[in-house]
Amino acid sequence: MLYLEDIRTFYGEIEALKGLTLEARKGEVTCVLGPNGAGKTTTMFTIAGILKPRTGTLFLEDENLTHVSAQSRVRKGIALVPENRLIFPQMTIAENLDTGALSRPLKDAGIQEDILKMYERFPRLHERKEQMAGTLSGGEQQMLAIARALMAKPKILLMDEPSLGLAPLIVKEIFNIIRQLNEEGVTILLVEQNAKMALTVADHVYLIEQGKVTFNGNPSEIHQDEVIRRAYLGSEVS
Amino acid sequence: MLNDYLLTVISNIGMISMIAISAYLILITGEISFGQQAYFGISAYAGSIATTLWGWPFWMALIFGSFLAGVAGGLISALTVRINGIYYSIATLAFAEMVRLSLLKFSYQFEIDGEWIGPNGSEGFGEIRWIFENDISILEYTLLIYLVLFLLIAFIYLIEHSKLGMIFRMLGQDPLLASVQGVKIIRYKVLAASLAGFAAGLGGMLYAHSFTYIEPQIFNVMLGVHSLAYGLIGGLGTVLGPIIGVVLDIGFLESIRGIQGYRMIVFGGLMAVMLIFMPRGILDEKRVHRFKKFWEGKTHV
Amino acid sequence: MITDFVQNCIDGIMVGSGYSLLALGFTLVFGVLKRLNLSYGPSIMLGAYVGTWSFLNIADNIWLVLLTTICATVVIGIYVEQLCFRAVSKETTIASMVSSFAIWMQLEEIALHLLPERTYPFPAFFDSGLLEFGPFTARSEYLFMFVVMLLLLLILHAFIYRTRIGLAIRAYSDHPSASAYMGIDGSSVLFLAFIIVSIIGGIAGFLILSADSQITPFFGLWATFKGLIAMMLGGIGSLSGAVLGGLILGVIEANAFWYGDPVIRDISSFMLLFTMLIIRPGGIFGHKIEIHQKIASERV
Ligand SMILES: Nc1ncnc2c1ncn2[C@@H]1O[C@H](COP(=O)(O)OP(=O)(O)OP(=O)(O)O)[C@@H](O)[C@H]1O
Ligand SMILES: [Mg+2]
Repeated sequence: MLYLEDIRTFYGEIEALKGLTLEARKGEVTCVLGPNGAGKTTTMFTIAGILKPRTGTLFLEDENLTHVSAQSRVRKGIALVPENRLIFPQMTIAENLDTGALSRPLKDAGIQEDILKMYERFPRLHERKEQMAGTLSGGEQQMLAIARALMAKPKILLMDEPSLGLAPLIVKEIFNIIRQLNEEGVTILLVEQNAKMALTVADHVYLIEQGKVTFNGNPSEIHQDEVIRRAYLGSEVS
Repeated sequence: MLNDYLLTVISNIGMISMIAISAYLILITGEISFGQQAYFGISAYAGSIATTLWGWPFWMALIFGSFLAGVAGGLISALTVRINGIYYSIATLAFAEMVRLSLLKFSYQFEIDGEWIGPNGSEGFGEIRWIFENDISILEYTLLIYLVLFLLIAFIYLIEHSKLGMIFRMLGQDPLLASVQGVKIIRYKVLAASLAGFAAGLGGMLYAHSFTYIEPQIFNVMLGVHSLAYGLIGGLGTVLGPIIGVVLDIGFLESIRGIQGYRMIVFGGLMAVMLIFMPRGILDEKRVHRFKKFWEGKTHV
Repeated sequence: MITDFVQNCIDGIMVGSGYSLLALGFTLVFGVLKRLNLSYGPSIMLGAYVGTWSFLNIADNIWLVLLTTICATVVIGIYVEQLCFRAVSKETTIASMVSSFAIWMQLEEIALHLLPERTYPFPAFFDSGLLEFGPFTARSEYLFMFVVMLLLLLILHAFIYRTRIGLAIRAYSDHPSASAYMGIDGSSVLFLAFIIVSIIGGIAGFLILSADSQITPFFGLWATFKGLIAMMLGGIGSLSGAVLGGLILGVIEANAFWYGDPVIRDISSFMLLFTMLIIRPGGIFGHKIEIHQKIASERV
């Protein structure tokens, strides 16, 4: 589905991604783990087209998107749920959802229908649909950010640390949503710090450190690797 | 050699530098003031009244006018502590315009030697004759201006290299952080604004005595925006920045008198292009830092 | 007594509708950019100079003047956008502002080259007729300006709140980086905003000047001042606030002028502005003060 090969992304002279190769398969949840500053957000930005890689290629379903702008990538089916949510604080929830559909053609009659679907999926957003998004709680904002990204009808959903700063109960809810979305057939690329939760939904896992992939396999393999398990799941025997 | 015209230009640079420094002081605390011309004007009027109508000695009048300007600066800052950004800028603009317009209504005249002297509304305030009465040549007055400017720069330099200067810059970069770290924001903002008012006041009082005539129109918003621009052209990294800005503007404009009629087109364009490449001025924080390092490296070897 | 007051208010609303038009432009561009475009007034001034020039040199046709004024204002607006806002780093808001000031100086000088005298006649849109309503009167060209202003407000409101482009503009102004993730192209939004604002400015300049029937280079400063004050009075970021701010400014000025003189008129409007900024920075109708405060108070 999504294929990155030998991507090198720079911030000025700082090389944040040093030849990253990664694949997200259709219908799967691909999870990217890594310590702070590993380059996870940079990876997401590179895929979304916010950052341009200096070398490497990026394919979405056999289409080379390496030189395609961020705007067109949204249209081609890559939607990002950004780190820290970044909803539009002074717009209502309904309007926030509308912005998600800006990449869809004007004639698309399904937009209103999809908004209703989002309200069904997230009843809490429905109750507050005329409220300013800035007044929502962190968990509600995260749901809004997910719903907003889904409004673009993406082929692949990029999620950057959706559990960041949320209480354990809400984190569980968010992961339930991820699981649900996946069951409905949405392809997801998930960046997480909360490795334990992430592994419960992941079909495939990448570890990145200092801009490189250091491990790539399925979740059960992680559990088998002593060093990795210690580093990411804590020392207690599970 | 140093003809009167050149001296006038040089002394102008010195006096305008003071209001530029004033705007710069506000800038480093993170706000944009459109109103420093008010303090320039307040001191110009107060100082001239003191010498001309009350017969005070020059230095006392200079301190008096600037002190008054400083108090006004502090007062306005205390009134506006709760607002920032564009709200602060427009509030300072409104205040300065109130001062300028009030001066249009301000009349305070004494009869001296059969002549009515003193500020008289829109007719302005002429006969500020301290220079003539004391037989001060243009050269001497220019030196006096630069003595004051030197003292001011030295004073600000000391502040910038003390804890106070660090606090000012901290207010500019992150007031929230500053307050978390225990800095009493209000107190320091008021202090910075008073200092800025005082600096502008020095320039204003000297200006009035240099030209012997002032009118409210001189202290309009153009003066304020110019002094703001000087800091930004010269650089926000050091107190020398605003002075570089003044020298570039007044010096440049005077030197290209040949292309009369096109100077603002050329200069405005140059300034706009320069700001693209140096958005915080020629001597911005980064370059000042690099320069310092270079200097230190050299002296150590 | 009371008739005087009412008549003053009518006059104030008439003149104030010009301020409202200017404030609409200011509030839109500030809302999108979060940066102050000081050269907005001077751009309109130069645009109107081009209009006057065409009136003097090409043909005595009011529609031609309107068209050239608007087109020239748009071209100047694009120039300002490219030079002062697109090219200058977004992180230093003050650089853009000072840059727009530098361009202001430039525009004034260009205007003087175009038409070197101090004042020029500006063609009137109407034969100034005095309309009477019982004891009260209003000049027809001002009434027309008032109606155009209300119409523009409605159109603008519908555009910003009912169309997809409007939604994109609002999203960008609310959170520029988040809007990029939604596939909104920030630089197109900026460009578009400048075009819209310049068109409004051109119309405003044309109407105000043709009601005044003359133009001077001071119009630039005047327009920037009135637009800014009206915007701040009404509260930043709200279209109807900008309109109300303009009308209130007009009413205050008209009364202060009637009971006082021109200086008192100007002092009272600045006094009102200053007091309001201290007490209610969000504007007279200061809804959502905290939020507005947050947008507008971004640092140097
Ligand atoms: N705008 C920037 N300019 C310069 N360097 C940057 C910038 N953004 C990130 N970096 C650097 O790039 C590297 C990767 O950053 P990135 O944000 O991708 O990390 P991350 O894996 O998402 O970390 P976290 O888990 O903390 O979110 C870091 O070393 C960071 O310092
Ligand atoms: Mg990250």
